[in-house]
Amino acid sequence: MMSGSSFQIELSLTLLVRARGGDVAAFEEIYRHFERPVYTLALRMLGDAEAARDVLHDAMLKVFVCIGQYRSDAPFWAWLRKIALNEALMRLRGARHFDADVDAVDTIIDEVAPPWVRADSLALERALGELPALTRSVLWLYHVEGYSHPEIAELVGKTTSFSKSQVARGTARLRTLLDPQSESSPCLLQTPQIG
Amino acid sequence: MSAANPTNRMTLADALRALPAAAPTRDVWPKLAAQLAAHARTSRRRYFLPAALAASIALAVIAMQFVRHAPKDPVAAISASATVADSRASSKANDTTVIAAMNAANSTNANATANRDAQLAVLQSRSRALEGWLRRTGKAGSPLQGQDLAAAIEIENLIGLVDVELAAPGHANPLPLWQRRVALLDDLTTLRYSNYQLAAGGTAIAAANRID
Repeated sequence: MMSGSSFQIELSLTLLVRARGGDVAAFEEIYRHFERPVYTLALRMLGDAEAARDVLHDAMLKVFVCIGQYRSDAPFWAWLRKIALNEALMRLRGARHFDADVDAVDTIIDEVAPPWVRADSLALERALGELPALTRSVLWLYHVEGYSHPEIAELVGKTTSFSKSQVARGTARLRTLLDPQSESSPCLLQTPQIG
Repeated sequence: MSAANPTNRMTLADALRALPAAAPTRDVWPKLAAQLAAHARTSRRRYFLPAALAASIALAVIAMQFVRHAPKDPVAAISASATVADSRASSKANDTTVIAAMNAANSTNANATANRDAQLAVLQSRSRALEGWLRRTGKAGSPLQGQDLAAAIEIENLIGLVDVELAAPGHANPLPLWQRRVALLDDLTTLRYSNYQLAAGGTAIAAANRID
């Protein structure tokens, strides 16, 4: 798994022991550490601020209620991320985003300079928001959280090919959204807007 | 699909990672803190009485043991220690028997390891079969509602926790974790099964239902 996830925060054992003992101040400290990573993950996946807040709330509540089940031989952040991811995926399933078309993008023109190099963060965020929720989620889990295609396939209950095609599709779509001139590629014109 | 240029792919990853972290406009913590406090109160109520009862019983048992085994007089106590010393001395004579028993135990240990590996393989196979069934029938079932949905989420989270533990290096004996994983998958399968049957209009779909 690649590194770079904003979840990778190491907490002291003392803090975890205090939290296990029901210390509310310790809970708040943990919450403040992971508030942004959890909310950002949920927002990128769901594209909805209110739903992202719900994921943050429910995931953190679950973390604190179940903290006794956490074993310190695995990183705490990985355990917490898994809970947050499950919460977000559950909402994606509920919203039926999982019924998205699974057709692969057959060709990607990758030789030209990618437009996200030139785009500012606002434009990139706006373009991300235009992607179907499931495509955006797969793209985010792959590129930012560092999950592999087989891992993503297992998480979303699809095939590895599905994960690959969603990354390809998302990448192509971002390119089009950020640089409309690249829309001359015929495969991109055929990319349906789902989700 | 053509292989993506690795440089460009990394550039997109970098661009996405460089996006500023988002934060909720309204603080979620006050609501969370209130719910945690309520949860703590409920837990205390739920566990205080049984815990107090258990502690009382344990104390009573210890007290009874103490009264029963307390020597009646000092002479009897000395006599008791002498008996222990005698038995220690006589146990040396049985060393040969102990070594033979240890050899037999080693052989039993090897059998136990093989047996554990076999159990592990069975559990992993069962786990794969259940996951496969859940995946195959996932689309056929209508979305779970209410308590079933909450239970399914809880089970999925618990499976996630087991997976995190399994992924951690240095497990001398992962068997209990796999047993727990399969038990959780069984629960989830039971939960989804009725939902799947309902969605299928009550018709048994033998091929899809088979978990092998």
